[in-house]
Amino acid sequence: MTYVLHTWPDSAALIVRLVLEELGVAYRTVTIDRAGGALDSPAYRALQPMGKIPVLETPDGPIFETAAILLYLSEKHASLAPAPNTPERAAFLKWFIFVTNEVHPTVMQIFYPDRIAGPEAAAAVTLTATARLREDLTLLDDMIARDRPSWLSPDAPSILGYFVATLVRWISTLESGHPARWPAGKFPALGEVFASLETRPAALAAAKADGLGPTIFTAPT
Amino acid sequence: MYLLHDMPDSCSLIIRLVMDEAGLPCQAAPVDAEARRTDSDGYRAITPTGLIPALETPQGVVFETGAILLWLCDRHGLGPSEAAPARTTLLKWLFFVSNTLHADLRQLFYPESYVPKAAQDGHHALITARVKRHFALVDAAVADAPGLFAPGGLLAPYLAFLIRWSVLYASGPQPWFMLSDYPALALMAHTLEARPATQRLMAAERLGTTPFTAPRPATAPVAAAT
Repeated sequence: MTYVLHTWPDSAALIVRLVLEELGVAYRTVTIDRAGGALDSPAYRALQPMGKIPVLETPDGPIFETAAILLYLSEKHASLAPAPNTPERAAFLKWFIFVTNEVHPTVMQIFYPDRIAGPEAAAAVTLTATARLREDLTLLDDMIARDRPSWLSPDAPSILGYFVATLVRWISTLESGHPARWPAGKFPALGEVFASLETRPAALAAAKADGLGPTIFTAPT
Repeated sequence: MYLLHDMPDSCSLIIRLVMDEAGLPCQAAPVDAEARRTDSDGYRAITPTGLIPALETPQGVVFETGAILLWLCDRHGLGPSEAAPARTTLLKWLFFVSNTLHADLRQLFYPESYVPKAAQDGHHALITARVKRHFALVDAAVADAPGLFAPGGLLAPYLAFLIRWSVLYASGPQPWFMLSDYPALALMAHTLEARPATQRLMAAERLGTTPFTAPRPATAPVAAAT
């Protein structure tokens, strides 16, 4: 069975598409009719009970949660992350979970600050979330500079690389002057990883499919 | 022998219960709350995020509750392996609990870290509504695949402690969470609570005999959800 990715351009489904392209496995996409209410349809809710994007249909059933999908694909195809019970797995897992638990929710708070405590508190929420994001990205950047891990590296693609690169892509598209806008150059180790990833055929193919420009991570349009 | 850096009534108990149930030897290394805040005991040299818990393993230190659980699962066969079809179900619910339910609950435990004081009422209303929806989704998942949420797995201890802390440690108007609203989760919590491993651990931690279904704060000097 071919994988089926339910997708929307430049959403978290982009991360899954990047990884599917990098794995070179057969898949097809279904673009969700958001305006038509497809996220709330019984058929979609049967696949993804929260009505969120993405979901991936697999031979083992539908799987949702971006990080769960990425980990599943890496395990199934023994690629793009250290396998279970290999020496690098522990270090990989803790930073992978750190990104899905801390960095990703913080980025979402920056994009939707109203959802935290209403519109009046949005500016304060944005500032607090921005400070937390900077701290978390500093931890990641320092870790790369110190440990040079193979699973988040300019030398090889990985599920964690594509995950972080896409999160940073989004904050790079914030309007000029936004406090959380990605400060290019402030995180050099991460920057090297992103610059290397975006030139890969898989990244170019995913960018094209989602209608994005050729430098999706370092100079997104 | 594993070394677990822990604090009373915190996420380290999730790890501890999973390890006790699996018969994995584990030694506790208490982290002092004040020392952690000021880093005077060098805890950040062990784990740069300063998060509790951290588990010292033969592959180095692992932090993030979800990462420790998954690492233990793969190392000791505590759930479906990467070759098993049920792996999809384990992963999607483990990640949902970890990065959505737990992440939102943390906002209720520590609202001051997310919003200014003046906005905390609105924050409580929005986040509790969201968390209740999360619990309802998990409740349906438990009813659907009870085996995955049985004692001995990763998810039951994780959820049972989140239920406990929802009752005890959320800020704002109370009670906002009733376990009886989630029948499958309530059954899961009752079953886990009755296990000898749970009772032994709770006695040692002075958390009483009904830590999940009728929780009361620890009688130990310091209690803090994470």
